[in-house]
Amino acid sequence: MKSSNQTSWQGRLFDIVNVLFLLCLVATMIVPFLNTLALAFSSNLASMRPEIILWPKEFSLEGFSTVWSRMQLYLPFTNNVIVTLVGTAGHVLLSSMAGYVLIQKGLPGKKWMLSAILLTMTVPGEAIMIPLYIVNKDLGLLNTLSALILSGFVSGFSVLLMRNFFQSVPYEMSESARIDGAGDLRIFLTMYMPLAKAGLATVTLFEFVSRWNQFTPAVLYLNDPAKYTLQIALKSLIVDTDSTSSNFMITTNVRMAGIVIALLPLIVIYPYVQKYFVKGIFLGANKE
Amino acid sequence: MRAAFKFKTLYLMMAPILAYFAIFSFYPLVRGLVISFQQYRLIGDRPFVGFANYSDVLKDPVLWDTFGNTLVIGAGIFALNFILPIVLALSLNEVASAWFKKITQMIVYLPHLFSWVVVGGMWILMLSPDTGVVNQIMMLFGADPVNFLSSDRFARAVMILTSGWKEMGFTCILYLAAIVGINPALYEAARIDGASRWQQVRYVTVPLLVSTMKVVVMLNMLGILRMFDQIFVMSNGAIADKVDVIMMYTYQRGILQFEVGPATAAGFLIILATFAITYVTRAVIRYDEG
Repeated sequence: MKSSNQTSWQGRLFDIVNVLFLLCLVATMIVPFLNTLALAFSSNLASMRPEIILWPKEFSLEGFSTVWSRMQLYLPFTNNVIVTLVGTAGHVLLSSMAGYVLIQKGLPGKKWMLSAILLTMTVPGEAIMIPLYIVNKDLGLLNTLSALILSGFVSGFSVLLMRNFFQSVPYEMSESARIDGAGDLRIFLTMYMPLAKAGLATVTLFEFVSRWNQFTPAVLYLNDPAKYTLQIALKSLIVDTDSTSSNFMITTNVRMAGIVIALLPLIVIYPYVQKYFVKGIFLGANKE
Repeated sequence: MRAAFKFKTLYLMMAPILAYFAIFSFYPLVRGLVISFQQYRLIGDRPFVGFANYSDVLKDPVLWDTFGNTLVIGAGIFALNFILPIVLALSLNEVASAWFKKITQMIVYLPHLFSWVVVGGMWILMLSPDTGVVNQIMMLFGADPVNFLSSDRFARAVMILTSGWKEMGFTCILYLAAIVGINPALYEAARIDGASRWQQVRYVTVPLLVSTMKVVVMLNMLGILRMFDQIFVMSNGAIADKVDVIMMYTYQRGILQFEVGPATAAGFLIILATFAITYVTRAVIRYDEG
């Protein structure tokens, strides 16, 4: 595309306009983040002034200490960590178990299992939120973290993704192991799991991100503030309270510090996310 | 029976997954279908009332208002999320500098990772009437400040634009992945035939992105009726009648007002609409032809 006959003045003009366009776009992406960061690290007073703040004014950690200890954001943060870790671990294990079963040749009923799993993917979960609420209520799960952990504990998408990964492992390997007397559990744990590291990483990252951000189930199943997870605690901090509604003033830096805390774990895993996400989306979409 | 014994471990491995789906997918679906024909009460019997719940919600003007909002906001988001990522991907692909490309890609993808609470919270602040950056910039140019999130005129546009802002990078990366997979020999051949840069984009790149476009169209179409988090976070009393979508209607009637029967009926109408949209979209874009 960049051959020498293209470096005419028109080509160069296009390149300049193109880069300018991209720079504008990047600016609209970056300014809200810079603004958030700068406000979070500003002092209470400076964060309330009507100015464009892209760099901390009167650098201070007041916002963080207020939101973390005084407003006890560490409680929902801990709940979020529990739900994310337990939920992700369970999701990865169950999805890979199902994925492994679905690649077995000559297993009676396999087609039926696959259809059942595909069927769960056709109905949008939000549309059955009321019956799901009732099921959780009947099981006594309302206001427990278990309700959140169990919401999406395994998904058709992840099962398919793992199945498609396992399919790339040569089937003869498991056959010869079986002749040597190895059982399915051993073949699964010692041969397939180690060979599907990329698949496991993909499902883990997908699930980690969506668990960390899990919102609708928390809105539905929790109304006891002691059980709040991070997103719903943040929602009431940022959206529901106006700045004078509690016994002290919630300044802008406090709200933005809350947002920064919620961003942090995702920023940490971001480099890995980029590596695995795109591949995963295409693999999970293959239903053949 | 011998087969069942031979495959015992495999069935045992599959059992928890099927049990999970039975309890949390199929049972709620069937239970919901039953409830949608019942007068739901917490205690006492639940008489069957035929289609009363369905006619209740279908006669409710709020359902149609929220459905209208869903269509308007959904159509806006759909159009924006279709055009913007293609333009961005093609534009990025023309950039020669690898690090500029990589950094831009990294930055535009970032908001996709974050929840609507985080993204909505950031934009509520950016758009706030006196201290928000957007109004500060407008005031620099002498305009009067606007309270975007309590204004009838701007509320829907804000929802559409913030959604475009959040999802643009994600869709863009799908296109970039497809562009990377295009055989360079095709460009070689086009150049030998004297194709200009624009012609290479128009006649080589874009046609080869059609199958990715179809995937994106399907994903985005199905997303329209599912819209919930964003509106739940960003809506407020002043603009609710302009922006509240159909999932908000289900939530409000079912959870807040505890009218379980009508809310469940509304949920099943949404499922029917989802199937209709899926069917029509598949036919229109000839999805199954790849």
